[in-house]
Amino acid sequence: MYVRAVPPADLNKNTEWFTYPGVWTTYISILFFSWLIVLSIFGCSPGSAWTIVHLVHFFVTYHFFHWKKGTPFADDQGIYNGLTWWEQIDNGKQLTRNRKFLTVVPVVLYLIASHTTDYQHPMLFFNTLAVFVLVVAKFPNMHKVRIFGINADR
Amino acid sequence: MIKIPYLTALTTHFSYGLLFAFGQFRDFFRKIFDWWRTNNLQGYAPICLDFEDFYTRRLYLRIQDCFGRPISSAPDAWFDVVERYSNDNNKTLKRTEKRTRCLNLGSYNYLGFAASDEYCTPRAIDSLKRFSASTCSSRVDGGTTTVHTELEECVANYVGKPAAIAFGMGYVTNSAILPVLIGKGGLIISDSLNHNSIVNGARGSGATIRVFQHNTPSHLEKVLREQIAEGQPRTHRPWKKIIVVVEGIYSMEGEICRLPEIVSVCKKYKAYVYLDEAHSIGAVGKTGRGVCELLGVDTADVDIMMGTFTKSFGSCGGYIAGSKELIQYLKYTCPAHLYATSISPAAAQQIISAIKVILGEDGSSRGAQKLARIRENSNFFRSELQKMGFEVLGDNDSPIMPIMLYNPAKIPAFSRECLKQNVAVVTVTFPATPLLLARARICISASHTREDLIKALEVISQVGDLVGIKYFPAEPKKQQQEKEMIKLE
Repeated sequence: MYVRAVPPADLNKNTEWFTYPGVWTTYISILFFSWLIVLSIFGCSPGSAWTIVHLVHFFVTYHFFHWKKGTPFADDQGIYNGLTWWEQIDNGKQLTRNRKFLTVVPVVLYLIASHTTDYQHPMLFFNTLAVFVLVVAKFPNMHKVRIFGINADR
Repeated sequence: MIKIPYLTALTTHFSYGLLFAFGQFRDFFRKIFDWWRTNNLQGYAPICLDFEDFYTRRLYLRIQDCFGRPISSAPDAWFDVVERYSNDNNKTLKRTEKRTRCLNLGSYNYLGFAASDEYCTPRAIDSLKRFSASTCSSRVDGGTTTVHTELEECVANYVGKPAAIAFGMGYVTNSAILPVLIGKGGLIISDSLNHNSIVNGARGSGATIRVFQHNTPSHLEKVLREQIAEGQPRTHRPWKKIIVVVEGIYSMEGEICRLPEIVSVCKKYKAYVYLDEAHSIGAVGKTGRGVCELLGVDTADVDIMMGTFTKSFGSCGGYIAGSKELIQYLKYTCPAHLYATSISPAAAQQIISAIKVILGEDGSSRGAQKLARIRENSNFFRSELQKMGFEVLGDNDSPIMPIMLYNPAKIPAFSRECLKQNVAVVTVTFPATPLLLARARICISASHTREDLIKALEVISQVGDLVGIKYFPAEPKKQQQEKEMIKLE
């Protein structure tokens, strides 16, 4: 019932909240509850609801993890202003447990979305595109890479 | 060790996610509206990036009335809080003429010197008349008066070191001393929860900074071994100097530093120890000499002892105490000594008189009484709060007790409800504490009487039930009475 919260030695306050207990569970429950909400609002089939959740998840996580750079407060004097949130977590160390978890979630969502829509065509294309972009963005070789200068520093 | 109930951790993450999402929506629509509206600032660069002050605009400003409340009397055990109102949902706050008399649980008034004192105040006023309010020059020009030299001797004797140097501001003491003591090619290892002044000073020094897990001497040893083996970052040459920076009492946790183990680790690896006693000098220890006295560490083992006069002595400024050579070196290199205005003579006299009261040199035993009272008050308050089921951090004997709130909505709820019942508490949230661990920090003073504390306990218990922060099961009342009877006997 109780979990211990050990203060991590991570100085970046923008990312250290991710190392506390309960984050993974909250993430998964938000996805699950948003599926229920989409089902109740649109009244569509479960498969389309999963596709909608998958695509909205793609837009939201791409924007916040891989597009927005810097930190939402000015205390750290802008030392992370050139790094996206994904490049900041765990101090830039690659292939940690948190990073592996965050890479697996879009893939699992993709599998659920494509399975429940029976791999039918327009949805399958968009889902595949979304998961491809997200997983490639999370590769260790893409650390600090800006393709064609998109989203590079001014 | 902080124990969070798992459900609370989930709901806190979710609440912050929701607040963040709302903030992003409002920012998005604000961008669209601003694009429509013409503005006459063509050609000017923005002051800050739009994402940089997101936290301030969308989260902090919503509950701004809980922070920065103006007061209109001396911060004694009871003080006057100015009431404020807002017409635009807390974006701007306007003061009214009304005042409320509230119980002060937020000031760092550990020994009760914040308000007028029968020994210190006449002497401070005297020195104000003799030397006037400011020396109007730096220490090396014309700003060293007899009060300043007496202050430095007094502080050195009190702390137990051969010599000391005093500055006008506590924050500046840390941020101006660290760059002078260490430079490029040196290593600073600081505790992960060190104060912003130390972080600033360390960044300004140009040395490499490494962080060790809060108050964990084994991790400190691991970091030291790793860094000494690797050497400087690219050249792998040996480090020129290694300084380990720790604090006596951590102001957000109320925990006392594990000084004996840390000092033994540093001696083993030949690193210097810098102890920041901002909150512990004057507040802990049998004669108020700080954590060294409390934990039985010889002051000769700690190389640099820093402290501030703002907390226990009711004045302003900071000091550094160390060996005579160190202080002499600081006197001709430290910019805060060479260029900053010296500490005001009245403030210096207040410190000297406060130290005399604490040591009993004014002829009365008020100092010893104050020290005993703050210890009793802190232990009583902490044990009562823990019995009620609150999660209170901090060690025994420490006058700071943070009560964990966690959820972001409970922060303004706790603060406002307590203010309605005339108890003023300080709540601390994100940049000063980790995101999940928001807390209400209570500072006990020697000028709080037992009735004040009992009233505070009642109010906090009521508000705690209303807000829902009693995360641990409360001990039933019968056991309480039995325990009290055993204590009296």
